[in-house]
Amino acid sequence: MWFINFLKSSIGKKYIMATSGLLLVLFLCTHVFGNGAIYISSKAFQGYADALHSLPMLVFIFSISLLVIILAHVCIGLILFWQNREVSKSRYAVEVDIVQEKNSIAAKTMPYSGLFILLFLLVHISGFTFGPEDVPVSEHVKELFSGFFYGVFYLAGFAALALHLSHGFWSMLQTFGVNHPRFNCLIGTLTYIVPLFFLIAFAGIPLYFMTGLGANY
Amino acid sequence: MSTIDLTLQIWRQKNSDSLGNFETYTLNGISTDMSFLEMLDVLNEQLTKEGKEPVAFDHDCREGICGQCGSVVNGVAHGPEKEVTLCQLHMRNFKTGDKLVIEPFRSRAFPIKRDLLVDRSAFDRIIQSGGYVSVNTGGVPDGNTIPIPSQVAELAMDAAACIGCGACVASCPNGAAMLFTSAKVSQLALLPQGDSERKKRALAMVETMDKEGFGNCTNHKACEAVCPKAISIRNIARLNREYAKAIFTEG
Repeated sequence: MWFINFLKSSIGKKYIMATSGLLLVLFLCTHVFGNGAIYISSKAFQGYADALHSLPMLVFIFSISLLVIILAHVCIGLILFWQNREVSKSRYAVEVDIVQEKNSIAAKTMPYSGLFILLFLLVHISGFTFGPEDVPVSEHVKELFSGFFYGVFYLAGFAALALHLSHGFWSMLQTFGVNHPRFNCLIGTLTYIVPLFFLIAFAGIPLYFMTGLGANY
Repeated sequence: MSTIDLTLQIWRQKNSDSLGNFETYTLNGISTDMSFLEMLDVLNEQLTKEGKEPVAFDHDCREGICGQCGSVVNGVAHGPEKEVTLCQLHMRNFKTGDKLVIEPFRSRAFPIKRDLLVDRSAFDRIIQSGGYVSVNTGGVPDGNTIPIPSQVAELAMDAAACIGCGACVASCPNGAAMLFTSAKVSQLALLPQGDSERKKRALAMVETMDKEGFGNCTNHKACEAVCPKAISIRNIARLNREYAKAIFTEG
C-alpha cells in the first residue's frame, strides 16, 4: 500500500504536517475575517454569527474536517517529536547555536508552542463553541474578555501562534519543495508578515476590550 | 612563525561497547601554520612517547576533498571556520590559552568505533540502495552527445560537491541525513543520465535513510550551516518533490 508507506516515511510525515498546517492557516484566514466584524460593531458580529449558524450542515462538515486536520497535525507532530527525541539522546558537551538566524528559536520550540496552542484551543472551544447557549455570542465575547487573566491567556495563545507560524510557514513551503532563489526573499518576508497579521488581527480583540476601546461595542 | 599553547579536552572511548570519557591534554608550541589534524598528530606523537594510546581519528586526503575527517570542535562540526573540513581548518583560527573540546560526530546512526572514529557506513548503504545510474556498456560515448544546460550542470555539480563527511547528521538536532541524501538524489535527478531510475532512486534512498535510524528533518538548517561544501537545503526541497512525485506514481 503506497499510502501506508508514504505515512511511514519521514518525508511523508512531513508532508502531512505541511498539508494540515496549510489547511489550518487557511481556516485561520476565514476565522480572522469573521472576527474582524467585532471591530465594526456588536451588531455586525452577531449578524455574522447568526448567518453562519443558519447553515448547520456547513458548520458541521467544517467542524468535522477541522477536527480531522487538527488531529492529524497534532498526532503526527507528536510522533515526529518522540522519534526525534529518541535519536538526539546523546548530544555534545559544548552546546552552541549553529544556526544564527532570528527565527531559530521558533524552530527549536515548535513542539512546545504547538502544545500551548492546543491548550489554548481547548480553552477557546470550551469557552465559545460549548459556551452558554442563552447568551448571544456578541455579549459573551465582551463578558469573557473583561476578565483580565482570560484576556492575558488569549494574548499568550496568539503570541505562541505567531511564534509557531514564524517557523511553520517557511517550513511548510520547504517541505512542499518550494525553495528557489527567485522566491526565497518573498517567502522570507511572508514568513514575517503572515504571523504578524494573525497576531495583530487576533490579539487586537482581547486588547480591544481590555483597554476599554470596546466600551461602546 | 608564531606558536600557540592549547588545552585539549578529547573524547576517549576504547570501543563501541565501552563508556567513553573526556581526557585533558596540554599542547605547547603549536605552529599556527599547522592544520587541525597536524596538531592532533603532534599530540599523538607526544602520547606515544609517553607510552600512552594515541587518539584515533579518521583522515585520508588531508586536502578537504575525501570526506574522511571530521570531529566536533567546541560544539561545531569541523570547527569554527565556515566551509572547510577539519583537515583544512588551520591553527591560526585559535590563540594561546584556548581550550578545545574535541568530540566525535554523535548520532544514533553513527556508532562510535573508538575515540573520534565513527562508523558512517549507514551513508554507504544509502548510496548502495539507489545512488547509481544504469549505463549501457560499450564504446566511450562522444562528448556532448547529450546536451545539458550549463545552469543545470552547475546545480548538479553543486549537489555532487557533497563529500559525505556526515557533519550534517552530526549537527542536526534530530540526527537526520536529509542534506546528504538530498544531495545524492539531486546530483543524479538533475541530469538526463540519472533520469531512468529517478523515481526508484528517491523511494529506495529515503527508505534506507529511514531504516538506518536517522531522525526526521525539522527544517532547522543546522546542516547547511556546518556543511564544509556549502550544500544548500534547496536540495532537501528537491528531494521532497522527487519523493512526492515518486510515491504518488510508483510507490
